[in-house]
Amino acid sequence: MLKKRFMSWESLLLHDLKRDWIKILIWVIGLGAFSAGFVPAFVEITKGQGLIGMYEVLQNPAMMSIVGPTPIDVATYYTIGAFYSHTMLLFSSLIAMIMSALHIVGRTRKEEDSGLLELVRSFEIGRQANSLAAIKEMVVINILLAIFTSGLLYSFDADTITMEGSLLFGISIGMAGIIGGALALVLSQIMSSSSSAIGSSLGIIGLLYIIRAGTDISNVDLSMINPLGWTYLTYPFTENNWIPLLYAAIFSIVLVIIAFALEGGRDMGAGYLPERQGRANAKKSLLSVSGLFIRINRGTIIAWLIGYSILGISYGAVYGDMEAFIKNNELAQLMFTQSGVSLEISFTSTIMLVMMGLVCIIPIVIINKLFAVEINSYITQLQATRVTRGRLYWTNIVLATVVGLTGIIVSAASLGATALYVMSDNTTMEMVDFLTSGFNSIPVVLFYVALAALVLGWVPRLGKLVYVYFTYSFFLSYFSGIIDLPDWVLKTAINSWIPMMPMEDFDLSIFITITAISLIMIIVGYLGYNNRDMVEGA
Amino acid sequence: MSEIVKLQGVQKRFGKFQALRDVSFTVEKEQVVGFIGPNGAGKSTTIRILLGILRRNGGEAQIFGKDVWKDSLEIHKRISYVPGDVALWKNLTGGEIIDLFMKLHGGGDKKKRDYLIERFELDPKKKAKTYSKGNRQKVALISALSVNSDLYIFDEPTSGLDPLMESVFQEEVARLKKDGKAILLSSHILSEVESLADKVVIIRQGEIVESGSLDELRHLTRYAVTLMTEGDVGKMASVAGVHNFVLKDKEANFSADTRYINDILKEATKLGVKKFEATPPTLADLFMRHYEGN
Repeated sequence: MLKKRFMSWESLLLHDLKRDWIKILIWVIGLGAFSAGFVPAFVEITKGQGLIGMYEVLQNPAMMSIVGPTPIDVATYYTIGAFYSHTMLLFSSLIAMIMSALHIVGRTRKEEDSGLLELVRSFEIGRQANSLAAIKEMVVINILLAIFTSGLLYSFDADTITMEGSLLFGISIGMAGIIGGALALVLSQIMSSSSSAIGSSLGIIGLLYIIRAGTDISNVDLSMINPLGWTYLTYPFTENNWIPLLYAAIFSIVLVIIAFALEGGRDMGAGYLPERQGRANAKKSLLSVSGLFIRINRGTIIAWLIGYSILGISYGAVYGDMEAFIKNNELAQLMFTQSGVSLEISFTSTIMLVMMGLVCIIPIVIINKLFAVEINSYITQLQATRVTRGRLYWTNIVLATVVGLTGIIVSAASLGATALYVMSDNTTMEMVDFLTSGFNSIPVVLFYVALAALVLGWVPRLGKLVYVYFTYSFFLSYFSGIIDLPDWVLKTAINSWIPMMPMEDFDLSIFITITAISLIMIIVGYLGYNNRDMVEGA
Repeated sequence: MSEIVKLQGVQKRFGKFQALRDVSFTVEKEQVVGFIGPNGAGKSTTIRILLGILRRNGGEAQIFGKDVWKDSLEIHKRISYVPGDVALWKNLTGGEIIDLFMKLHGGGDKKKRDYLIERFELDPKKKAKTYSKGNRQKVALISALSVNSDLYIFDEPTSGLDPLMESVFQEEVARLKKDGKAILLSSHILSEVESLADKVVIIRQGEIVESGSLDELRHLTRYAVTLMTEGDVGKMASVAGVHNFVLKDKEANFSADTRYINDILKEATKLGVKKFEATPPTLADLFMRHYEGN
C-alpha cells in the first residue's frame, strides 16, 4: 500500500534534479558564498581593536533584535569566529529557510494548481510520489549547501574558524532550509492555493523571526523553543552546541509525516482551509485611478517602508557605541570622519547619503509598474473608459513622489529617533537635523521619478536601465569618500550633486535647479506618453 | 446622423510591418456588425485604433463623428469595450473589478450589474487570479453591459464561454440592438455572427475584402444542390451556372450560382423532379471562399 502511494518517486526525483540543476547550482553557490564568503572582510574590519568595538555595537538591544545574541559576555573573549557566527548565521539560516519553503511550494502545490501534476499523475506514478521526490530533492540541496558552506568557511583558514565550528555553521544553515521546506509542505496541504501557501509560509517564518527578536533581548532561553532559534543558538565557534540540530531534525520529520497524512486525506487541488472570500462589491476607496494604483502598489510600498525603518533603526543603534566602532576601524574612519565636525555629524552625513539613495528605489519601482501593467494588457480596458492617459500618468507621478517623500521621512525619522535615544544627552544633534538632511534629498528622489517617467513616456522598454543608472550613481557617490575621483566623473552621479547635510550647508540653488530639471523631464515624459502607441502583450 | 463608426482608408504600420493597409467600413445605429477574419488579419489592431490605444498612420477614423485619437475622452464616455484576452488585476475580486470599471466609465446601473452577475453565474467574491478564461470574460462582459453606452465593441467576447453562457450573451446583444445601440462584434464563432449580425465585414491581411449584409454576400456565392430526376439527370451538367457536377447512383450533387438559380430550376422541372435539396451558403462557406488558395 505504502509502496504504491510513493511508486516511481525515484524517477520523479531524477527528473526534478535534471530540471533544476542550474537553479540548485546557483542556490548552493550563491547562498553558500553569502553565508561563508565574508570571512576575509570580517578579518579586515576587526584588525587592531575592531572586535571590541563590534562587540559593543552588537550588544545593543536594537542590533541584537536584528542579528541575534552571542554567548560571549566579556568583550576580550569575542573572537572572529564568535563575531562571524553572531552576525551571519541568523540571516543565512533565514534565507535558507525561505529558499527551501519557496522551492517546496513551487514543486508541489504550484504544479498542482497549474495542472501539471494532473498530467504527471495520469501515468503510473504513486499519488504522493511527487511530494516525496520534492522533499528528498530539498534535503539533497540543503546537504549540498551545508557541505559547501562548511568547506568554504574552513578554507579561509582564519583564526578561531575551527573545523568543528565550520561544520556546525554549515549544517545549521542546511537544517534551517530543511525546517523551512517541511513547514512549507504542511502549509501546501492546508491552504487552498499555492499563493496562500507561499504567503502563509513566509508569514510564519517572519513571525518566528520577530518573536525571536523579542525573546533574544528579554530571555534567550525562550528563543530555544522557537524553530528558527534551533539554528543560530548552536553558537558555532564558541559553544558549539549540537543539541538544537537534533530538535530541528525531529521537528522536521514530524512535520513531513503530518504533511503526508494531510495530503493522503485531501483531493487534488483542494486544501483544508477554504479560500478566503473576497468582497462582492468594491470599497469606495478603490473606485478611482488613484485608489486602484494605491491598491496594486500597496504591498510593495508597505514592504519598502518597513525596510527603510528597520535600516534607520539599525543604523541609529550604532550611534551609542560609535566612538568604539569608529576608533578601532580604519575603513570606517576613512568613510565616516571629517576633520572639524563631530563624529556623529559626519557619520549622519554618510548614512543619510546611503539611506536617501535607497529611498530613490521605490519611486522607480512605482513608475515602472505602470509599464508592467501596460504590457500585460491591463490598461486596455481602463483606456476604453473615461480615463485619459494624462490621468494614468499624473496619478502615477504623484503616487511615486508622495511615496518617495514618505520614504524620506520614515528613514530620517527612524534613524534620528533611534540615534537620539541611544545617545541620550551626549550630543548637540536634534531631530530637525536628521529631517532637514532628509528633505535636502528631495530633488534627487524627484530626479529619479522624472528619469523613470521620461523613459516611460518615450522608450518604455528600457525601464530597467533606470535601475542601472541608479546603481551607478549610488555607488559612485558612496565611494567618493574613499576613492579620489575627478570632479567631472563625480558629477555624472546625481546622488553626489547635493551637499552632504548636516556636515555641509544647504544649497538652495542646487535644490531649485535639480527640482526644475526634474519637473521639465516629467512634462517631456508626459508628451511622449500621451502620443505613443500602447504596448501590449509583447 | 446614423453612422456611429466610420473608418475610411485606415492604415497602421508597426515598424516595417504593414498591419493595416486599407480598412474602411461603417457601423450604424441599431446595427450589429460582425467583424471577421483569421488571426493576424488586423481585427484587434483596428479595434485598438478605434479605442485610441494605437495611433493610425493614415486614413480617417471616427466614432460619433469625432476623431478617435483626438477626442477619445468624449467618445469613451459613450462606448463599452470587451477585449478578447481579458487581463484582470490578480488580487482584486471579480466584484471589485466590475465596480471599478463601472465607476471609471460612469453611468452604471447597480441593478443591472447584480442581474448580470446572476445571469452569467459569476462568483464575484473570488480573486481574479483564480478565475478561468471564461470567468475573466464574464467579468469584462458584465462590466461592459452594466453601463449605458451607445456603442459596444466586443473583441471575441465568447471564445471562453460555454454554449449556455454564449446564448446569454446573444440575448443581451439582441436586447442592446432593440434599444437602438450600435455593436461591433469581432468573432471567430461564425454561427454567432451569422445569427446576430446585420452586416458582415471580412478583413484579410489588413484589408477589407468583403462587406455587406449577409443576404448581399450570399448572392456572391453558390447554393449546394442535391437533385434526383425521372429523366437523365446527367443533362444538368451542361446547364449554365452549374458547377462541380458529381453524379452518384442517379443522384446529382452540384453547386449553383445564385444568379442562374431560376434557369437551373426550369431545366430541372423539364426532367421531372423527384428530389430537390438546396442549402444556402453558410458564413463559413463565404469565409472559406476568401481564404482558400491562400
